[in-house]
Amino acid sequence: MKAPAEGTLRGIGTFLATFGLGVATYIAIADSGGGSPVCIAGGHGCQTVAESSYSHLAGVNIAIFGIAGYVVLLACALLRGDAFRLTAFVVSLIGFGYSLYLTYLELFTIDAICQWCVASAVLMTLLFVTNAVRMLAYVGTEP
Amino acid sequence: MSGRRDREARRDERLEEEQQAGAAERRQRMVKLASAGAFLALVVVAVLIVVSSGNSSGGDSSNIVEAKEVDELLAGIPQKGMVLGTPGAKVAVLEFGDLQCPVCKGYSEEVLPQVIENRVRSGEATLDFRNFTIIGPQSKPAGAAALAAGEQGRGWNFVELFYRNQGSEDSGYADDAFLTAIAKAAGVPDLAKWNQARESPAALSRVEATSAEAENLGFTGTPSFALEGPGANGTEAIGTPESVGALESAIENAGK
Repeated sequence: MKAPAEGTLRGIGTFLATFGLGVATYIAIADSGGGSPVCIAGGHGCQTVAESSYSHLAGVNIAIFGIAGYVVLLACALLRGDAFRLTAFVVSLIGFGYSLYLTYLELFTIDAICQWCVASAVLMTLLFVTNAVRMLAYVGTEP
Repeated sequence: MSGRRDREARRDERLEEEQQAGAAERRQRMVKLASAGAFLALVVVAVLIVVSSGNSSGGDSSNIVEAKEVDELLAGIPQKGMVLGTPGAKVAVLEFGDLQCPVCKGYSEEVLPQVIENRVRSGEATLDFRNFTIIGPQSKPAGAAALAAGEQGRGWNFVELFYRNQGSEDSGYADDAFLTAIAKAAGVPDLAKWNQARESPAALSRVEATSAEAENLGFTGTPSFALEGPGANGTEAIGTPESVGALESAIENAGK
């Protein structure tokens, strides 16, 4: 199967990373005031997850790490060349792996689902797929 | 003229071949680099998971876990006070425990679920939790809080949930916030009433009375068990059976 043009993949990456950046920023802002994100569909899942100890890593809200990751992915989507293809692949793989773990925690440990976290996990999964295809199809070729 | 054209064509061909070989080599090098990057990414994820799971070492009032599992374990089994099981069961199993005791936690997670499923749910035996407070100053208020939850039919939910969220031994985690979080997650219906009951002198003296009872039975550590039943010698101390099988066979003997 022929991979989509690299320009298309970069466009998709830009779109997904921008959305992810919005989601992570909302979670971080909601947490910074001592509150929690509001679940659009109702329920207390977002509050429960935000109040759990897993919402912070070494004292820092994990949404901050999310913001940093999405910024890097956005930059890599906008820029050409092997260095950015590789960086996007590695960073999105880290984001995807950690999102899987966080979703597992929500389902089986915290027993609550935060829609914003699920949205971020879905975006990170799509970014990983997009960047993996970009890397496999175009790494080593001219930018 | 023709010889010159041939030489130029051969040169172009050679250049193209060299370019193709160079590109293939470059791509191979980049793919190797990507594989190393993927490995690095997986290592980073593993480190993040280890750091993150360290966040949950128990004793965290903002993160009470396994409430659903405890609910499922106890669902449909009658509770009265600190007694779990059908009233009038042939055998009464008395567990003398300290909520802060890590061995009790292990026992509660590894041995008791099967005994509850096999012997208590069937109506053959009841389980009676009695405080034997030996760990530290927070053991008594924690025990009183369990008794107060028992007054509202959630004593065993409280005990099991406490064990599953237990913090480091006697580290000061079992404060009011933690006890309240456990009571909430255990489904204690009236928290105001629970607060009043756990702080009453009566609850604390009941904790002291069962601790004295455990000493009279000769126990020195927790958890320790005693059995009452037709085959038992009064309230018969059996210490700490080391396995599900050992506790179940003691229950069978006490029922004969």
